[in-house]
Amino acid sequence: MRLIPDGTRFTLPPEWEWRETLRSKLEGVLGAWGYEAVQTPSLEVYDPAHPQADKSFKLVDRDGTVLALRGEYTTAISSLVRANFPEGPFPLRLRYAGQLWTRARDAELGRQREFTQVGAELLGVSTPLADSEVVTLALECLQAVGFSSVAVELGHPGFVRAVLMETKLEPEGIEKLRALIHRKNAPELAMELDNHNVTGKTRASVMALIDLYGSQDVLLEAEQYALNDAAKLALEELVAVAEQLPQKGVLFDVGIARRLDYYSGMIFQAYTPDFGQPLVGGGRYDGAPIASLPACGFALGLERIMTALGGLEPIKPPQAVADSRSAKKLRAKGWRVENAWTLEPSELEAYAKKRGIAYLVTGDQVLNLQTRASQNLGTFLENL
Amino acid sequence: MKLEQRLTIALPSGERSKHYALRLLRRAGLEIPDFQGSRSLSHEFGNLRILEVKDPDVPAYVDLGVADCGIVGKDWILESGRDVYEPIDLGGEPYRLSLIGIQNSGSRIERVASKYARSARKMLNERGIPADVIQLSGKLELAALTGLVDAIVDVVQTGRTLKENNLHELEVFAQLSYRLIVNRAALKLKSSTLRELIHRLQHLETETGIEK
Repeated sequence: MRLIPDGTRFTLPPEWEWRETLRSKLEGVLGAWGYEAVQTPSLEVYDPAHPQADKSFKLVDRDGTVLALRGEYTTAISSLVRANFPEGPFPLRLRYAGQLWTRARDAELGRQREFTQVGAELLGVSTPLADSEVVTLALECLQAVGFSSVAVELGHPGFVRAVLMETKLEPEGIEKLRALIHRKNAPELAMELDNHNVTGKTRASVMALIDLYGSQDVLLEAEQYALNDAAKLALEELVAVAEQLPQKGVLFDVGIARRLDYYSGMIFQAYTPDFGQPLVGGGRYDGAPIASLPACGFALGLERIMTALGGLEPIKPPQAVADSRSAKKLRAKGWRVENAWTLEPSELEAYAKKRGIAYLVTGDQVLNLQTRASQNLGTFLENL
Repeated sequence: MKLEQRLTIALPSGERSKHYALRLLRRAGLEIPDFQGSRSLSHEFGNLRILEVKDPDVPAYVDLGVADCGIVGKDWILESGRDVYEPIDLGGEPYRLSLIGIQNSGSRIERVASKYARSARKMLNERGIPADVIQLSGKLELAALTGLVDAIVDVVQTGRTLKENNLHELEVFAQLSYRLIVNRAALKLKSSTLRELIHRLQHLETETGIEK
């Protein structure tokens, strides 16, 4: 029998310490921007319409109801708001941090089945300023945990959706095209368009989607492929957000075609050089199916961020082992001190050496285990 | 082609696929000295790093971002189910993924063997054939001939081996060829380098026709 399930971990002290430090840094930034912390239950009522429905771990409740382990926060936060703040006041700024579970996933580099996410949601308003706030905040979060070089990429699934509408194909055909655009699979996309006799301007626009990525110029270039009002609107929304952001380090991909039915507006991801997976994902999802009110948010995976940052600093041992009375005095000075568990000094010394603890305090004597210098606790405390 | 940024390419280690991939990359203008004699699995030439990995593993290296891009047959891309970009068809001798059975056996297909278990399951499902799929690693013809399974799903190039064993291509599931696949983050972060490489590889196609 396996000790723990695939894709889960024992978190040991150095990793825990590091993860919690990162978490509190991130929450510090979110808090400073006015995002207040909430938590939702780890157990959720299973809903087949949930965006993660077929990927979640399921459990059966005592009355036979199917439950699911929380697989993402956005949907849960949206129910939290519906139940508790139906009238706002909006905009409502909420943040969260906690564990998520995904059943349908292989555990591999930067991908766990149990993982920690920190994120923020800006609910109740839908403006370019709100969108750019969320993007800027995500970038500030990455900066706070030590990423000096980050590129953010913006897209708008509404554009792809609108361009594909022009093909007048059935939903099934559209979905096939979407999947090919998502993979920038030009040869098969061309074949598929031929098969359906999509020609002329529509064909050119669909094919162009694959190559519309890069700096802000692609937004201008995309204009000629905006064949209907919906496409023009999506592009305008994207331009309006882009205008609020600095030009440096901001990329665009007008051909982003992941989950067309989930996000309604701008979506974004952030990358750091030489790490092949996004550090942050987010975007705007107004209205059905997952939220009844406009909202924009993002989330970052802590374990993935730790993988991308690389290197784990070893945790520092406590500074001293001391009898309980001396320990209390040292702690009052801000030291981390372990209580002596035996009166046998040689045992304590051997233990302290093994743990790399510098001082052993017995009675009134402070012994520096490296220099073997001994001094009186009273003077030692005065000099701290 | 001079590389402005570091670029890591996952190269399939299969003899034929490696040879083909290297030839394309060289013709596209990448300077790759001969490393045939080397037993090292990773080769560095200035800003270029080449990783030799098993053909089926190329998509994983690219998806997880260890390699920026890779060259591999479409069969392994389908089988991996990995979320990568695949912007160009690199041609090569054409081959196909097919459902193969014993000629005129007339029996129902209930058990199928394949090296491509995932693709086989998906394609059988799409066609409404409710068969169990067994993963085997090679010599699939034998599985069909000995009655281990009723049919196999495998790649077919000329079909000669099939004919010799009295096996028959029942249905072509997919036409296959070599592809360039690209990591999602890399395409954006190293876009000038990768765009140039894609452009050059595409240009090869139009210049000489896809090699068949």
